[in-house]
Amino acid sequence: MSDDHKNTPENNDEPRVPDLGSSGETIIEAGIVEKMRTSYIEYSMSVIISRALPDVRDGLKPVHRRVLTAMNDLNLSPGRPYRKSAKITGDTTGNYHPHGTASVYDTLVRMAQDFSLRYPLVDGQGNFGSVDGDNAAAERYTEARMTKVATEIMDGLDKETVDFIPNYDGSRMMPAVMPSKVPNLLVNGADGIAVGMATKIPPHNMGEVCDGLIALLNNPDLEPADMLDYVQGPDFPTGGIIHGRRGIYDYVTTGRGRVVVRARTETEIRDNGRARIIVSEIPYQVNKSSLIEKIANLVHAGTIEGISDLRDESDREGMRIVIVLKKDAFPQVVLNKLYAHTMMQTTFGVINLALVNHQPRVMSTKETMQEFLKFRE
Amino acid sequence: MTEEQKNGTPEGAKEYTAAGIQVLKGLEAVRLRPAMYIGDTSVRGLHHLVYEVVDNSIDEAMAGYCDNIVVTIGVGDTIKVRDNGRGIPVGFHEDEGKSALEVVLTSLHAGGKFDNEAYKVSGGLHGVGVSCVNALSEWLTAEVHRESKVHYMEFARGDRKEDIKQIGNCPEDDTGTTITFKPDHQIFPELVFNYDTLRGRLRELAFLNRGVRITIIDDRGEQPREEVFHYEGGIVEYVRWLNESRSVICAEPIYFEGEKDGIQIEVAMDYNEGYSESLFTFANNIHTHEGGSHLSGFRAGLTRTLNAYGNSSGLFKKDMKGLTGDDVREGLTAIIAVKIPDPQFEGQTKTKLGNTEVKGQVEALVNTYLAEYLNEHPKEAKGIIGKCIAAAQGREAARKARDLTRRKSALDSAALPGKLADCSSRVPEECEIYLVEGDSAGGSAKQGRERRNQAILPLKGKILNVEKARLDKMLGNDEIRTIITALGTGVGAGVFDIEKLRYHKVIIMTDADVDGSHIRTLILTLFFRHFREVIENGYMYIAEPPLYRVKKGKTEIYAYSDEQKDQLVEQMGGGKGVYVQRYKGLGEMNPDQLWETTMNPDSRTMTRVNIEDAAEADHIFTTLMGDEVEPRRRFIEENASQIKLEDLDI
Repeated sequence: MSDDHKNTPENNDEPRVPDLGSSGETIIEAGIVEKMRTSYIEYSMSVIISRALPDVRDGLKPVHRRVLTAMNDLNLSPGRPYRKSAKITGDTTGNYHPHGTASVYDTLVRMAQDFSLRYPLVDGQGNFGSVDGDNAAAERYTEARMTKVATEIMDGLDKETVDFIPNYDGSRMMPAVMPSKVPNLLVNGADGIAVGMATKIPPHNMGEVCDGLIALLNNPDLEPADMLDYVQGPDFPTGGIIHGRRGIYDYVTTGRGRVVVRARTETEIRDNGRARIIVSEIPYQVNKSSLIEKIANLVHAGTIEGISDLRDESDREGMRIVIVLKKDAFPQVVLNKLYAHTMMQTTFGVINLALVNHQPRVMSTKETMQEFLKFRE
Repeated sequence: MTEEQKNGTPEGAKEYTAAGIQVLKGLEAVRLRPAMYIGDTSVRGLHHLVYEVVDNSIDEAMAGYCDNIVVTIGVGDTIKVRDNGRGIPVGFHEDEGKSALEVVLTSLHAGGKFDNEAYKVSGGLHGVGVSCVNALSEWLTAEVHRESKVHYMEFARGDRKEDIKQIGNCPEDDTGTTITFKPDHQIFPELVFNYDTLRGRLRELAFLNRGVRITIIDDRGEQPREEVFHYEGGIVEYVRWLNESRSVICAEPIYFEGEKDGIQIEVAMDYNEGYSESLFTFANNIHTHEGGSHLSGFRAGLTRTLNAYGNSSGLFKKDMKGLTGDDVREGLTAIIAVKIPDPQFEGQTKTKLGNTEVKGQVEALVNTYLAEYLNEHPKEAKGIIGKCIAAAQGREAARKARDLTRRKSALDSAALPGKLADCSSRVPEECEIYLVEGDSAGGSAKQGRERRNQAILPLKGKILNVEKARLDKMLGNDEIRTIITALGTGVGAGVFDIEKLRYHKVIIMTDADVDGSHIRTLILTLFFRHFREVIENGYMYIAEPPLYRVKKGKTEIYAYSDEQKDQLVEQMGGGKGVYVQRYKGLGEMNPDQLWETTMNPDSRTMTRVNIEDAAEADHIFTTLMGDEVEPRRRFIEENASQIKLEDLDI
């Protein structure tokens, strides 16, 4: 070790430095506990506050907000021509979001997928992926512009309605939150894993949410459970059937609940006496091709009996998975097996967590609405 | 040396006569050679003063007379230690011709501890006691409540300032000693007490002395802090605390104690689903970092007992070879505390217990009581043996994985990972290795380095969190294997050899952003769990790259903190024409800039990481990096306020 090191006391957050222009090595002694503590808290707080969780007011994570800001800069409103996605991601990373373009493009793509977002914020031109898990085309091929909903979220941005903050290098300003006419958090939901906590909010119907907001505006003393009169439950872009209302009641009143979602099916009896199960909707966030693969594997393994054929007949008319049953099979028995063993039944574990004044908070639906109304006042 | 010459021989050539011989009286010697008494005069020595005073109170507690100790850090970094013991005697001491209190506070080797009668067992590392604290303090006051009276005395740099006097009365049952002192700035270059350091030691003392209530108060900040440590369960609660963030095998830790020939032995242990060993040993309240006879006795007893039980209970498979010491230590959390009348401390840092008779006694105790426990708790016993067998299998798998890497590397002549840009020197003492985040920064570092003694190893993305992985899985990870190969030490019990470390400076260099912080925690976890000796030997560093570049016209200056940046901006005449660049990635810098600001040994700043409190460190690693989410969330909640919103990139 060099002779000229100085023993300075345990440092806390900021490195102490020699006077400017002085030479010689400076060694600061620091306990490993303190180093772990500060490094970890820096990391976890950043992830919580400025990465993984949406703001209760506009329902957006920073990356979403930055993509929309960049699109707004490019004037990509609904009536205007599409622009290349690569241009959008490039502007986003260069101006607002100092990270890789790949993650930005993934965000852009998801905002355009009508099976991911109940009310897409991006209108995509080209292949933006499918419910089968196919990837979108590369960013140099696809084009995009904002949807009407996105413009409503940003409406009034130029009228000093919200605070602006400097971007990462202080060369530009960007909105700290969008004015958001739309109760975006509730209608589009959210999904994010932070550190020590996570959020998972289902999408809802715009009309129902607006009814709830109006009711709450007229009568702020409504009980949390009263919101169920207006908001029936999740409204998934992929449809499906919610099995049991307990989970809905739980999350609407407390912010946490487990909602069981099943595929929508129909049983047809053919002339030859054989039954077929037709699946027309599958639960939210289920990949159709892996679902079919899974069913096939279970049939091969003998876990599910009574299936003689399995076909994916989906086309531009919509989704259609045909499960042909053997002659002696009971459709209901097979269906129950499918629910138990495959993603034809999933549990959506709601955690209604969002940032309120930069603090993560689990809220009932009523509280979420109150925060939104407070913001829009 | 020069001091002595100055004092010993007057100026010019003088005869060496009897008059030249000087006897340092009383506490002068302490002031002249503080390091001899308290280790050193760095921050560590400073905190040692507090421990010396607290140890006095703990002695009263161990003797059964004290159950409440309050340590207060006052404004201006004074320390007040108050206990409710019997109070230091204040009567007249015939031999010395002054009050007993003054004798205790001004004479070395004074006190009731040396004949083993007033105190059977006593803590205190050096036995130098509170008189040293007095000698090294700008001022010190003592207030003794005893026999219904309040006595008070004041000292300055070890000298009596005022005679002992009675300053009031108190109820008869109100007894105790309060020592208040301010360390001397002539002795200590740094006078600021660290709350966390003191807290760690006081908590440890509270665990080791069950029933004693220790309070720490910090009055310095805007908001005073206060914490109380009080554990009726003693070391059982210590084990529980260490395992707070782990899933344990025995719901209630195993505990046994025994006493023989005046030596008291206490053991508390439990197993958890993790892969690391958290074993801490103490002798007379002193953490014996280097282990010693009590540790070897425990290990021998543990291995023997578990093997015997595994065989007799039929839990071992027929062809099993038996468990090794390493197998029975995976996922073990244990505290061994012994109290001995005459402790002998050995080793480099005097933290290795030497008393040989202790080994047999601890071993016998473990043999008897652990066997009894296993027989009485078949469910827990099955869990423990199962855990050990899994460890043995993991060890076997790791050995195979290791052999594989060895064989592979034997084929290529370099024997080092291709990603490593090695240095030309082969002398570990002068070699440095930079563990750099990402290839972009790795490129800058490679081009900017001093090729002779600086090696660069770029790491891709976030490395594996080893807290959640067993050795064999860890060895399956490319990035980690690359680090291990580069270090040259090997990994794992019986394989790791610090002597083979190829670099005596291992430097973590990550971006000054969020993910950089995360990667830093991941690398620290790897070293704490598997290369702890690297940290203990003082080889582990963190590079401190600048946070800003402030530029005006042609002048460019780097700022390493926000205050410095603001200062520079002001110096340069405020906002106009001053351009501030915030560095977020090391890759933003040109190679020569990186060299100049961060890597040049003539000007760089680095943080050296040390392990002050191994138990606290163990606890924080399991909390932050372990499996359980709930303690982590609690940690974030408790510490969230420490971070300013504007410091985060929003």
